[in-house]
Amino acid sequence: MLRFDRRLVHHFDWVMLLMLFLVAGMALANLYSSTWSGGDTASPIFFKQLYLYIIGTAFILLLIAIDYKELESLGYLMYVGVVLLLLYTNFFVHSIAGTQRWINLGFFHLQPSEPAKLVLVLVLASCYSRAEVQDGYRIRDLIKPGILTAIPFVLILIQPDLGTALMLGILFVSMTVFVRLRWSTMAILGGAGLAAAVIGWKFLLKDYQRRRIETFLNPEGDPMNHGYQIMQSKIAVGSGQMFGKGFMEGTQGHLHFLPERHTDFAFSVWAEEWGFSGALFFLGCYFFMLLWGINIAMTARDKFGVLLAFGLVMLIFWQAVINLFMIMGFLPVVGIPLPLFSYGGSSLLTTLFAVGILMNIRMRRFQVQK
Amino acid sequence: MKNIRKRNRKRPDRLLDAERRRENGVTRITHRDEGELDFLRRRALYSAFVVIFFFAILVARLWYLQIQQGPEYSRLADSNRVRYLEVAAPRGNILDRKGREIVTNRPSFNVVWVREDNRLDDELLKKMARILGRDVSDLLVKIRKMADTPGHIPVRLAEDIDWETVAYIENNRMDLPGIKIEVVPLRVYHYGNLASHLIGYLGEINERELKHAEPGVYRGGDLIGKMGLERLREKDLRGEKGRNYMEVNALGYEQKYLKGVEPLPGNDLQLTIDMDLQRVAEETMAADNKAGAVVAIEVNSGRLLVLASAPELKIDEFVGGISHKAWKAMLENPYHPLINKIVQGQYPPGSTYKLVTAAAGLAEGVITPDSIIYCPGYYRFGNRTYRCWKHAGHGAVKLKRALAESCDVYFYQVGQRLGVDRLARYARLFGLGRRTGIEMEHEKPGLIPTAAWKKKRFGKPWQEGETLSVAIGQGFDLVTPIQLALMTATVANGGTLYKPGLVETVRDPDGRVIEQFTPQVVDRLVGQGRNLRLVREGLVEAVNGRHGTGRRARLKDLGITVAGKTGTAQVVRLKQYKHLKEKDIPYKYRDHAWFTCFAPAENPEIAVTVLVEHGLHGGSGAAPVARAVLEKYFRDRGYGAEDIDVSTLRSPADAGGRAVTAADTGRPGPDTNPRRQ
Repeated sequence: MLRFDRRLVHHFDWVMLLMLFLVAGMALANLYSSTWSGGDTASPIFFKQLYLYIIGTAFILLLIAIDYKELESLGYLMYVGVVLLLLYTNFFVHSIAGTQRWINLGFFHLQPSEPAKLVLVLVLASCYSRAEVQDGYRIRDLIKPGILTAIPFVLILIQPDLGTALMLGILFVSMTVFVRLRWSTMAILGGAGLAAAVIGWKFLLKDYQRRRIETFLNPEGDPMNHGYQIMQSKIAVGSGQMFGKGFMEGTQGHLHFLPERHTDFAFSVWAEEWGFSGALFFLGCYFFMLLWGINIAMTARDKFGVLLAFGLVMLIFWQAVINLFMIMGFLPVVGIPLPLFSYGGSSLLTTLFAVGILMNIRMRRFQVQK
Repeated sequence: MKNIRKRNRKRPDRLLDAERRRENGVTRITHRDEGELDFLRRRALYSAFVVIFFFAILVARLWYLQIQQGPEYSRLADSNRVRYLEVAAPRGNILDRKGREIVTNRPSFNVVWVREDNRLDDELLKKMARILGRDVSDLLVKIRKMADTPGHIPVRLAEDIDWETVAYIENNRMDLPGIKIEVVPLRVYHYGNLASHLIGYLGEINERELKHAEPGVYRGGDLIGKMGLERLREKDLRGEKGRNYMEVNALGYEQKYLKGVEPLPGNDLQLTIDMDLQRVAEETMAADNKAGAVVAIEVNSGRLLVLASAPELKIDEFVGGISHKAWKAMLENPYHPLINKIVQGQYPPGSTYKLVTAAAGLAEGVITPDSIIYCPGYYRFGNRTYRCWKHAGHGAVKLKRALAESCDVYFYQVGQRLGVDRLARYARLFGLGRRTGIEMEHEKPGLIPTAAWKKKRFGKPWQEGETLSVAIGQGFDLVTPIQLALMTATVANGGTLYKPGLVETVRDPDGRVIEQFTPQVVDRLVGQGRNLRLVREGLVEAVNGRHGTGRRARLKDLGITVAGKTGTAQVVRLKQYKHLKEKDIPYKYRDHAWFTCFAPAENPEIAVTVLVEHGLHGGSGAAPVARAVLEKYFRDRGYGAEDIDVSTLRSPADAGGRAVTAADTGRPGPDTNPRRQ
């Protein structure tokens, strides 16, 4: 299993590693600024994230020695583990601020819904890569992946964490549409999705969730409440103008007008302090990284590799788009972090794993399976 | 691997084939598998377009927010973080013509509570109530009033506290979190209630004023001029507030001081009013409990020297809002202190109007100074008899004696010859029947009737008999004291009607003059110099003649000749009071007393008009007040000292010509006049 191949070093994905370092550098600089609260040293939060970055990166650099194909079966094991963690969280953990999301590991608060996203991508990639269907998938071909998605989806929804649950749904849809579907399947799924949305709005959403969506549609309506966050975020981003207010000089962030400024709204701080030019540079790096990920998918050696790489790119991509849309006032506040950029250990480690797997696939693109 | 193989074997369908092929050796990739892989790779390429598409949306949105809307969001960010506290500007001072301070400011100390600095709990509230000597409920009322305002605006708990309390609070500030001392300039009235109708007072701005004011100038709780010059000259006096800019965080706590803008004091007003004369006028009126008005005016410029309405307004009752009880008492007071009688009191001019009738008669040629009219004590017109005040009659009367002794019959006939419309035209030239434009509020126009006016007002034609009443200042005629003063000044200066002015200069805080009084001619009686001199001669006789009606206004001991005219304005014409002695007539039915005069007669400088409401007779009721003002005026200029300085007495040649007087050029006060020593 652990067989060293000289070509692996030769094919090591330096591009992805470079992009990772660039994004990590910007993320840490921004975290330093957004959590600084006077004094000479950075806040403990900054150091925590820095250590996680170092540990996580070292860990994935070790793990790429293992061929990603092991994940094809290992994924299911991890899936079972995550589902158990979710069950444990839901039923045995006391709620924090009305939700049950974290497991206290002493040094670290694990949020099982974060690895749940990654594991879902693994099992779906594995599931679709093994399926041999002619002329596209029928509905019954989707029963297994559907159930695989539904279990963590429901468990996360009742935490309640609507944003992450929806994220699982989006990943399922992305990967399912990615493989060949019959037109009839598309139509049925579309209709069912629409019906689910209507029923969900009417019966399943909690009041505060519904209010979030409503206030998103009219954020100026109640500036001190839910729309306040979006409004302040837009002010932060907009007031950065072309070249920003300068590192550590953002007023919206440093004077606490911006909510959640080191987690969900971290990019607002960045855009405020570095302006349009800085925001464009960051987005350039970030999206080059994603496009590189798609390149990895296109050059992967097998179906599993393609599906897995694609799924991982989508995992990062959709979270980024939803987070940035929220920050710029296109979406309601849903609590999705910007991967690699927002503070949060579970999200960071999950994303680093995703990046590690992508590098893994890239490295082995020419390798012939034995 | 073994596991997977086993599980795959269990699968029944055609998936199995693919698995088998794979088992045989991955190098032998089947055609189908390769096609599937290509398909997925193509799809991955498409997904790149999706990523690029969203990336483009994000960049476009960033461009919109940061570049297009950037300045607007910057403004919003600043309004988020920048707060300012206003610093009250000292209001402009008001000085009299000699530079004496009438109204200035002094610092006063208010106790304020900054709500966002500390919550005011019960204990602190009780402590504050004890320190300030107030009820807790009093403080709560003040706090509730400010409930709608942002937390960084201080709530005033007590105003103008004494020095000991200030010291106590400063010494104990550690125990009184959130409590601060605020220094605010407060008005000081150096002359008490003198000229109170003219100066006016300040009060807290009300909602209506706040709504109509320019935005950003005022804020609730600010003081604003409510009456008099304080109101009319609000823009000059108020200055500009200073601001202390502070950076605050989202919770409203001050983070750092950004910058401060010093308040700019208001402009100073120097009035044309002479407070010494004003004091004499008001004290003389007050001495006999008289209600009425005193106006003194420079005849050659229109500068007002005295503007007194009696009884005075008690300013202190208005400061900080007048109580309902005090207001009601003022409304019901028979002396009407609330009415500024100088411009708001309209009275029949009585015999003072005979100046107009005489001047009009001469100008229109219906009489000459030597025309003789016989007065038997009455004049029969139509089937009515019009009485002269002297029932025994004046006998044969010429103009001079008619004015001196105020013969009614003489002026009945002059008026009849003129007709009401010609008379009204001259009355307007003397400033009657129209607003003078003086800087006082709610000025009344008075009333000088014409035939057209009566037709319009009552729908009835003019009766010639009414002309007779009008000619002696009764009937429909109504004038205000300021109008009569202007009329007198116009007679005195040879026919020039000036606009009355009461602000000499406006100076900005650096002492630069930004507004300067210049005489403004409203109207001019052309070519009437000789006729007006004849009228003046009659007025000299009225004061100085043996049978003159205004003898009490003489200033013999100063060597000044006063010319003037008395007037009595009938309030009611009730038979039931005819037989009563004057003292027995109820106050409100007594006649008003007028006296209007100017001096020196040869070369007039000053005109004084006095109205005493229900003062019965001009000669006895009003003339002594005018005399007191004139005496003070001329004594201040050095008259009445051992020898008379010839230089201050000008030759008659100056009279009609250049309107230059000592007051215009040098304004000699007591200190500048060498004759005082």
